[in-house]
Amino acid sequence: MATSEIYRYLDFKGASVPLDPEGYLIDLDDWNPDVARAIANEEGIELTHEHWEIIEVLRDFYRRFEQAPAMRPLVKAVTKALGEEKGRSIHLMRLFPGSPAKLGARIAGLPKPTNCL
Amino acid sequence: MANDKAQWMEGDLLVILRHGPHGTSWLREGLDAALVAAAFGRRVTLLFMGEGVTALVPGQSGGPLGQKGTAPTLEMLEMYDIDSLLVEADALARFGLCVDGLLLPARAAGPLELSALARTHALVLTF
Amino acid sequence: MLLHILNRSPATSEVYRQALSAMGAADRLLLIEDGVQGALGPLVECFGDLTGRLYALEEDLSARGLVPLCDASVVKVDVEGFVTLTEEAMRTVSWF
Repeated sequence: MATSEIYRYLDFKGASVPLDPEGYLIDLDDWNPDVARAIANEEGIELTHEHWEIIEVLRDFYRRFEQAPAMRPLVKAVTKALGEEKGRSIHLMRLFPGSPAKLGARIAGLPKPTNCL
Repeated sequence: MANDKAQWMEGDLLVILRHGPHGTSWLREGLDAALVAAAFGRRVTLLFMGEGVTALVPGQSGGPLGQKGTAPTLEMLEMYDIDSLLVEADALARFGLCVDGLLLPARAAGPLELSALARTHALVLTF
Repeated sequence: MLLHILNRSPATSEVYRQALSAMGAADRLLLIEDGVQGALGPLVECFGDLTGRLYALEEDLSARGLVPLCDASVVKVDVEGFVTLTEEAMRTVSWF
């Protein structure tokens, strides 16, 4: 539920998008590829084709299940959609270092995964 | 005795869901607990008891005020490798439901099996 | 005529018995929230013979996927119907 308080604004290309204290979008409808690039930029990530594949899997997961996935189901969803190789957690860790589930959700414009500490 | 017990463990966690969707948040909280456990690699069994069986009725939607339903979360269980779903056979009969027509593949459990479940799981959480 | 409103399932709570004991011969019973579970075939029998006086809120049935399972003896009402029932009743009594 996107009811968090506005903590700061993400400014890019003359637009300004409200974020919660953990850097997730307040209004999920604000998301577009430019927003994704701007968030990734904050994290020092340049989005490549390989990132966009995962972002699409994440957004599709959210459309189906109304929640962002934790790491385990993310691995499973990526494996299903893109094959074994891309579903390996090392691949996801390389693209979205630290916590792929959390960072991926932030860039893909999803709420923070709830069942992932 | 301890070894004996370990042999009989069918799962790490048994989550008993005794409430239907929408009326209270018990069902959602129970499912959340199951998801957290599964995200950390625990083997989870779900048992739908009493009115909890109505969580598995197909064709549910969001609430009248646009509240999210629990059906999408149930459909997500598979992605968390939660596939051990049991329903209380008596409750199915009481609600006039049939195990084949449910939202997800589940198995009806009779009184004998139910009474053994709490023993064969290391941890039991009731919602 | 009083309108009694029940929001608990007869499968879970005994409060429906209290509602029934308190109902007069012309009173009506409306099932809302988890109470709509009582509109299902086998459970509707808990209410004895309330033919024509037993109602269930359609929005709550629908959210739970229970519209197709609702017993034919139960009158489905939408929110406007709920308001009408309230207007027709002298008072409403809530059972929870």
